[in-house]
Amino acid sequence: MDLVSAQVPAGFPETHPNELTEEFYLNMGPQHPATHGVLRLVVKLDGETVKGVVPHLGYIHRSIEKMAESETYVQNIHLTDRLDYLSCHMNNLCLCMAVEKGANIGVPERGEYIRIMICELQRLQSHLLWWATFGMDLGALTAFLYGFDQREQITDIFEDVCGARLTMNYFRPGGSYCDVPDTFIPRVKAVLEGMEKSLDEYADLVGGNMIIQERCQGIGVLTKEKAISYGCSGPVARAAGVDYDVRRDDPYGIYDRFDFDVPLGKNGDCYDRYTVRIEEMRQSMRILEQCIKEMPSEGPYRSKIKTVIKIPEGHSYANVETARGLFGTYIVSDNKPKPYRLKYRSPNFSNVNIIDEVAKGFKVADLVTVLATLDPVIPDIDR
Amino acid sequence: MGMINQLPKVLDPIPGGKMVVNAVDYLVNWARSNSLWPLVYGTSCCAIEMMATGAAKHDIARFGAEVFRASPRQADVIILAGTLTEKMSKHLEVLYDQMPEPKYVVAMGACTISGGPFYYDNYSVIKGADRIIPVDVFIPGCPPRPEALLYGIMELQKLIRGESIRNPRKPGEVESEPWVNRHQEAVAEWEKEQEAVEEEIAPQRAQWKEDNPDFKAFKHPKKPVEDLEKMEYVPREKRVGAEPFALWNIVHEKFPEVTLHGIEEVTEEALAEKGAEYIPDFVVGTEQYSAFVRFLREHADTDCDYIIQVTAVDFVDRYDVCVHLMSTTKKHKIFVRCSIDHDDPKIDTISHIYLGANWHEREVYDFFGITFNNHPDMRRIFLFDEFDAHPLRKDFDDPSRLTKRPY
Ligand code: SF4
Repeated sequence: MDLVSAQVPAGFPETHPNELTEEFYLNMGPQHPATHGVLRLVVKLDGETVKGVVPHLGYIHRSIEKMAESETYVQNIHLTDRLDYLSCHMNNLCLCMAVEKGANIGVPERGEYIRIMICELQRLQSHLLWWATFGMDLGALTAFLYGFDQREQITDIFEDVCGARLTMNYFRPGGSYCDVPDTFIPRVKAVLEGMEKSLDEYADLVGGNMIIQERCQGIGVLTKEKAISYGCSGPVARAAGVDYDVRRDDPYGIYDRFDFDVPLGKNGDCYDRYTVRIEEMRQSMRILEQCIKEMPSEGPYRSKIKTVIKIPEGHSYANVETARGLFGTYIVSDNKPKPYRLKYRSPNFSNVNIIDEVAKGFKVADLVTVLATLDPVIPDIDR
Repeated sequence: MGMINQLPKVLDPIPGGKMVVNAVDYLVNWARSNSLWPLVYGTSCCAIEMMATGAAKHDIARFGAEVFRASPRQADVIILAGTLTEKMSKHLEVLYDQMPEPKYVVAMGACTISGGPFYYDNYSVIKGADRIIPVDVFIPGCPPRPEALLYGIMELQKLIRGESIRNPRKPGEVESEPWVNRHQEAVAEWEKEQEAVEEEIAPQRAQWKEDNPDFKAFKHPKKPVEDLEKMEYVPREKRVGAEPFALWNIVHEKFPEVTLHGIEEVTEEALAEKGAEYIPDFVVGTEQYSAFVRFLREHADTDCDYIIQVTAVDFVDRYDVCVHLMSTTKKHKIFVRCSIDHDDPKIDTISHIYLGANWHEREVYDFFGITFNNHPDMRRIFLFDEFDAHPLRKDFDDPSRLTKRPY
């Protein structure tokens, strides 16, 4: 497609030419640094004002749901890593939970604690990466260096635990595939200590900056009704005032034992999305601290399961709260070792759907801010 | 570089001129190899490791490659970080063509080598980036560690230092043969090799067995599992929101034809037997489908204001369209399913009830070819328009796209 074209591209309503202004269409992506991967946006502009956005998906559609039908449940876990690779532990967990529900497998206490701690660490890690790239999208490179430095410490813990830095493949139905090493708890403590010191500083470094405040406050406002109707979830929805967090409202694992708050935004603008995520990091740290105190130091980390897991005919559904929102796994099984159909509900798919509503009426530069605060991971949308 | 390219012609015949050319070579290569500017190109997971390589700990700046450029016209090297799909490949070609010579390609990750984890049963991933553009350095790994990426860049630098003005570099070939099953080829080759090895060592093996008559093959010691079997599990019995039977009563009053999937006679005991994790799964006819969903949304006690997803399942003789709803206020979930004809799959849209259903329905249309009546924008969402099938149907079996898993 041409960079700037005069015809009405797919997805836009037919418009009647207006004599006073000259509207045109601009193509952004799929290869664009601000789209966090390969999202393609076709933007309708009047001067510099955005009149409409139509996202085009599928540039990284990897047919994971088709592949899922020819792999066993345990083989499928590694594919969930590659959906939302910044919350891959949570994705693993969701598939494992759906299998556990279907095949009626239990998880021992220590296994649950390991799961929760790893998931919360990952949420911290993911939000740190978001914070780093958010600064970069808005032109502040310092945040990138600090954010990655901190993130690297958590990555080291994961490497210690499961051997991988990014695509972990750690959880299994009934627990996790190996126990955490002895160094795990001390290292988590060290990370928490470091984070406690620096998080306020970080929040201030970007969020306290005048320029960034001006570029975020009042920009990209999402109303609560729209957020619910579009099926938004995670920090994006909570910034708009939707009081729903899977961890609290549909507690899985042992999340009901912990004491944590669900931060909410007031205005639903970009700045609220920023503060909600920063606050979520604090809450994750709170959960981690409680975990460290209560985690049993002895005991089995996984339950014994059959080598070949079969789910009786029917379906099972599980959902978790990833760093981006409600991630769901829907398994339709026919009593074979492989799923008959496996559907992932990805939070980003619904979160990016709102971009037209949110960016309309603002400038092109604000579109980049909006995208940065939606924090999409494109392979999770395309699957 | 036009003038420099003429140097060998002019200088080589002159005594000592060769050394001058060599010196110029050295200088040019030194400059080129130490200021590789990569293009910001990352499609998926590997891009995160590429970013990590650029950040403080691994610091790609030590190799002069920290200047990530957003425009291909300013870039020397393109690091193919991530899976390459058919839809993206045309764009990659354009990017490559826009880069000025000399240009280099580093393929990062298993995906760009052969499709990696997405090799089998996959209809959209290109099985190797070298089928699209010539690649100079391949880095294996899924994802490669930052150290591996740095090593790849060092290898590229070595390659560049070997260049000369006398013999300018030409980009490699694009792999043009049709998709082959490299796995089976490799297995066959390995088996053949193994056979030869077996034959070779057969006499020694027989001799060794003769010498050690009381040898038994090694067995892995069995780990004790008793305490694992006796152990206690964390109970998983939590119900949130309304009881399924209460929901059933509300629905049954208004829609008497609606049934529950998998339950013949609905009683309170039958539902209680299903356990605390049971989510009611209503089966509804095509005519009532949209009215039923609207009822679930608007009734004060069901109050399903949130749409989780719309999906479909191909049961060969029929399609089931499944709608998963949730209430953000009352916290319960409700599933709705509607069976439709396999030959002429059509159903009403619910995108006017839930705005978010719009994309979910487009996805179902893309994967299953189910048309939603009155949908405002019924286009493919993931695949390109030339893709002439609906891949998640059970009968989708296009040998030009799918490589079947041999095991
Ligand atoms: S090689 Fe692995 S990590 Fe890299 S893009 Fe492919 S699947 Fe993702």
